[in-house]
Amino acid sequence: MSKVKITVDGRVIEADDGALLIEVLLANGVDIPHFCYHEALGPDGNCRMCMVKLQGAKRPQIACDTFVCDGMEVSLKDPEIRTTVQRILELELINHPIDCPTCDQAGECRLQDYYMEYGLYDSSFENYQKIHHAKHTDLGSNVMLDQERCVLCARCTRFTSNITKTNELGIIGRGDEAHVSTMPGKTLDNPYAMNIIDLCPVGALTSRDFRFARRVWFLGSAPSVCHGCDRGCNITIDHDRPKNGTETIYRFRPRKNERINGHFICDAGRLSYREHNENRQLQIIREGQSIGREEALEAFEQMIGSQKRIMILADANLYNEDLRAIKWYAKEIGALLFVPLESYRDESFGDDWLRSSMRAANARGVENMGINREVSGGYDIDVLINFNHPTPHMIAAGEFIEFQTHQSTNADLIFPLAMFSEYGGTLTNRDNITQDCMQAVNPSGMSLSAQEWVKLLPRRS
Amino acid sequence: MIRDVRIVSSRFGLANSHRLSTVLMRGAYDSLPIHLKRPPEQIVRAVDESGLRGKGGGGAPAGEKWKLMPRNSDTPSYLVVNCDESEPGTFKDREIITRDPHLLIEGMILTSYAIGANHAYIYIRGEYKSFELILRRAVDEAYEAGFLGRDIAGSGFDLDITIHRGGGAYICGEKSALLESLEGKRGHPRLKPKGKEPEWYFGAPALVNNVETIASVPYIVMNGARCYRQFGTAQSPGTLLFSLSGHIERPGIYEAEFGVSMMEYIERFGGGVKGKKKLKGVIPGGISTPILTAEEAARATLDYESLRTLGSSLGTGGMIVLSSEADMHGVLKNILGFYRHESCGQCTPCREGTSWSDQIASRMLRGEATMKDLDKLLELADTMNGKTICVFAPAVSGVILSIIDKFRDEFTERLRP
Repeated sequence: MSKVKITVDGRVIEADDGALLIEVLLANGVDIPHFCYHEALGPDGNCRMCMVKLQGAKRPQIACDTFVCDGMEVSLKDPEIRTTVQRILELELINHPIDCPTCDQAGECRLQDYYMEYGLYDSSFENYQKIHHAKHTDLGSNVMLDQERCVLCARCTRFTSNITKTNELGIIGRGDEAHVSTMPGKTLDNPYAMNIIDLCPVGALTSRDFRFARRVWFLGSAPSVCHGCDRGCNITIDHDRPKNGTETIYRFRPRKNERINGHFICDAGRLSYREHNENRQLQIIREGQSIGREEALEAFEQMIGSQKRIMILADANLYNEDLRAIKWYAKEIGALLFVPLESYRDESFGDDWLRSSMRAANARGVENMGINREVSGGYDIDVLINFNHPTPHMIAAGEFIEFQTHQSTNADLIFPLAMFSEYGGTLTNRDNITQDCMQAVNPSGMSLSAQEWVKLLPRRS
Repeated sequence: MIRDVRIVSSRFGLANSHRLSTVLMRGAYDSLPIHLKRPPEQIVRAVDESGLRGKGGGGAPAGEKWKLMPRNSDTPSYLVVNCDESEPGTFKDREIITRDPHLLIEGMILTSYAIGANHAYIYIRGEYKSFELILRRAVDEAYEAGFLGRDIAGSGFDLDITIHRGGGAYICGEKSALLESLEGKRGHPRLKPKGKEPEWYFGAPALVNNVETIASVPYIVMNGARCYRQFGTAQSPGTLLFSLSGHIERPGIYEAEFGVSMMEYIERFGGGVKGKKKLKGVIPGGISTPILTAEEAARATLDYESLRTLGSSLGTGGMIVLSSEADMHGVLKNILGFYRHESCGQCTPCREGTSWSDQIASRMLRGEATMKDLDKLLELADTMNGKTICVFAPAVSGVILSIIDKFRDEFTERLRP
């Protein structure tokens, strides 16, 4: 496709001939107001917020229905455009409840952002009657709807009709009576439903799971990768920061990656953040008693002895760096190493979009490293060391040492293991794409990552 | 002096004019044996040369639209007749489908043949339930007589007609909203294409024309473009079924050629303003057209060019006559109430603008408004103009601006300080 040059408020931008203007502007960091356009859903042209002045055009034009051509001169700062956007924004707001203090979207709301940029006027709608619609409606699938906050951009309805093709949502009623609703006899019920919460540019759709939990401006964010299956969907981890006194993780949000998950993640992956906060193993435990690290490492040394036959199991959700360290350690102490993958397979989970039946984030990494992926034949084992593999009990052993993220087994010696949000590393997804995950929070309790533990573990004497 | 011309309404006066047996003796379907054997391009050329203009309100040349339909394409083409007649002050299409439905069907057969469509739809307004029954019976009669279905009049041409009743939305008269509705979706207008192209029905090219436009086709095909052009003006050839309503002695529809004087038409057919009161204004072509004062109406002739010069539009030709009795506050409130109810709600300026305008008009009607409200109304009219997907909001804008502008004193008088 041939390249053309356009001018945006004096700045020259190069773009593909015939590209959609709003896409060119957004790709070049031009902050153009918009509600209905979304990269994953395309233009709809209903919000009329992305007004631009085009040289030679009589009236303001919407950037989401304008295609660039060579020499196009675009202005967003033109006074006429600013007035137009301000007036259209005012119309979006007249029937809006303006309940920001109790609205969960506050802080990440486009209406607020645009009001600060284009509005800043007093209401001239005084003494007029606002149109009222249903509030705090449970649509199903953890999605709450407040029809009064809605700007009717139709992103949510386009998601259910064009992307999931489940068609649960529609816009009902005409004119100022128009509102989003579930279709008669339907509830929102699909494994990707919560994506409409992120798509919603305002506070109309909020997460039943996250709402009222935390103001978003208190949260820090770290880029990571979902561990729900081996798809490797990119996520953002939103969490409290140490200065807040806690480091609770509040939510996962999808992070755009065109090669893997586009703009979306599944609800199961989104809600898997809970595992980081619940039922965590925080202390080192021997025979039901909490003990110190030095004492535990001494106990470990005694248990592995010098002649015992040792088997190590590892979790296929561990980072490549962890697996590499464990593999090295297994060789050092002459232990057998297995990462049985069959334990992670769940055919009922997979679908033809993002969800994969292999519910282990680094299954491909295990394969690439040449680690045994199934336990075949009988082994006579004295000591089993498990790095958080979910089904250690398939191996019978005299002694059992466990590194675990969550309280589950009653091993002889238990070490707390950090979750993936608590340190950084890389994962290799099913398509052999290796991706970075950043640390979001500090390891909880006495937990350390597998690679940190391995550094501390004694060799055989 | 207004000539009597009856192109579309020639059989309206007959008893049982909606029955095939009546109109068969009076020329109905006579065009088929001749013209379904000739090349379809001839019909397109005749319509193009006749200068026939779309009679649904826009007044765009019909031939231009017909020529956009692809020839010999692999995908089927469709004809969709727009019978979603909802513009207040307009009731001509319903006269055609109840008083001479076979004229419409004949026009549809010729048009479908011309554009290569084997399936045609009539999208009829939801409220036209009783009229639909008459139309449906006529379609059945045409099937029975072999004018519809396979091998029409021995020509080898096939055509099926499906009548589809809308759900009662004004906006479905907008052709792209009509097609969305016909596809089973919400009747929302589509974004307009950048270049000239046909409309699309399930991805196939479709021609959307008004009932009266299609009903004019048999005359043009039978008598030729030149014959049609002897009526009307050079730029607005032919005739229109004008509707008359409001403060008028004899409301109704009366066919006349384009270019006749508006006041002469109102006197001759409508019997003048009701109760011989003074004329206050005329809404010339359905409520979406800017109002004319009595002085402007006196200068107007009934054609597209004259009304455009006066800053209004001929629209559907549905004239609403207002006598000195009319309270412009009431007129404005009535019109804006309608628009508020009928805005499809897709574009923000229209959805919220019509709603707020209506509230302001109510306040002005009650005498509770101040100058600030009036200014806001004018500002809203400006915001609604030219910033939406379809022409609904710009029409509302034009209506508000014309009424306030031309009767400003009446409005300022009732404002509170």
